[in-house]
Amino acid sequence: MLAYGGGYQRTGYGAQGGDDGGGFMAGSQQGSQGGGGGGGSKSYGDESLRPVTIKQLADWTEPFPGADVTIDGAPLTQLTLVGQIRKINPQATNITYTLDDGTATIDVKKWVDAERSGDDDAGGQQQFTEDQYVRVWGRLKSFNQKKHVGAHFIRAIEDYNEVNYHLVEAAYVHLYITKGPPVPGQEGQQQQQQQKQQQQQAGGDSMFVDDGYGAGGGGGDEESQQAKLARASPAARKVFQYLNNTPGGNEGVNVHVIAQGTHMSTREVFTAADELNQSGLVYTTVDDETFAILEF
Amino acid sequence: MEATSTPRVSGPFLDNYVGRNVMVVGKVVQLRGDQAIIDADGNVTAHLNRDAHLSVGNGAQLIGKVNPDLSIKVLSSLNLQQSVPVDFDLCRTVVELTQLPSVKGLFVNDASSGGGVYN
Repeated sequence: MLAYGGGYQRTGYGAQGGDDGGGFMAGSQQGSQGGGGGGGSKSYGDESLRPVTIKQLADWTEPFPGADVTIDGAPLTQLTLVGQIRKINPQATNITYTLDDGTATIDVKKWVDAERSGDDDAGGQQQFTEDQYVRVWGRLKSFNQKKHVGAHFIRAIEDYNEVNYHLVEAAYVHLYITKGPPVPGQEGQQQQQQQKQQQQQAGGDSMFVDDGYGAGGGGGDEESQQAKLARASPAARKVFQYLNNTPGGNEGVNVHVIAQGTHMSTREVFTAADELNQSGLVYTTVDDETFAILEF
Repeated sequence: MEATSTPRVSGPFLDNYVGRNVMVVGKVVQLRGDQAIIDADGNVTAHLNRDAHLSVGNGAQLIGKVNPDLSIKVLSSLNLQQSVPVDFDLCRTVVELTQLPSVKGLFVNDASSGGGVYN
């Protein structure tokens, strides 16, 4: 241990201004922990399988060559889609299928596995026909402004209900990402709840549970804070979550600190904090740039 | 590549899509010559093309152009013959879902925007 510590201090690292460097390291580590839930940096945590419609893929435009694919602000890595084969174009190294799911069309390339194609009837390359419905797992690739899906696997769809099911799932995931998870017991009662909230606010007896997010048994009051959050934008929710997880929130946290912790730009944080402020979830403390969660 | 979006519609939505290509999924009620009646949340008359192979009582997915009289000139049809029955309630719900403003962007091109043409 001693030898290790000594060696560490004598490296060039210390000579570059040890204390500042160390402080920065710690800060950045904390920051990445705070923002980890929201993603943003490449990690295996983002490798989730996302159901999409072909139109979602077709609508995405590459902001610059080599950019990561994001849809609804969430990174898109592994995807699954369904579609009817419109065209089959076998080539030496791959088979290109043009798939149509009624929302748009896209090319799907399946690379031919040279080792497997030898024993073709023994479960190697599956043969598909035109107008057949298939499900594809793969990734969106962009090449010279032209998009295609690199398929890991394609299988035939035997049950037409799977097509409808996929569309519903794609819509669900879109809403989940843009509006957040469904609030339990909220469906169909949103209007009632909003009215209830207004009454509560008018009566001034609103009592938010401190850690509204995780606490289970808060009842109606907890729900109103959650309901507000559910309507907030993803950025606003991220900022709220960061504030909620940051100790010493009484004096509030400066926007620049929030920006660093959430890996957002200061402008984004301002917009998000303003939104939270207007919905009564946070308030400004020592100055206009410092926010704390409004708790009762 | 030409515009290939064919929004999923059912009987009640047809008049919003006159002159456009749509997809209708329903149950075949009647076949008479090259004309078929499909139940998709209401009866829809379809003028079939020659390579249509539908059978009464089965499900069918039709892609075609909506005529001014709200019948459909079929360009492509798929006979949904399968071991598991097609859930027509689900088909109807999906059509209604895809028309909801909050998710419409995933499914339907607005005629005005003209975007979403994949190339």
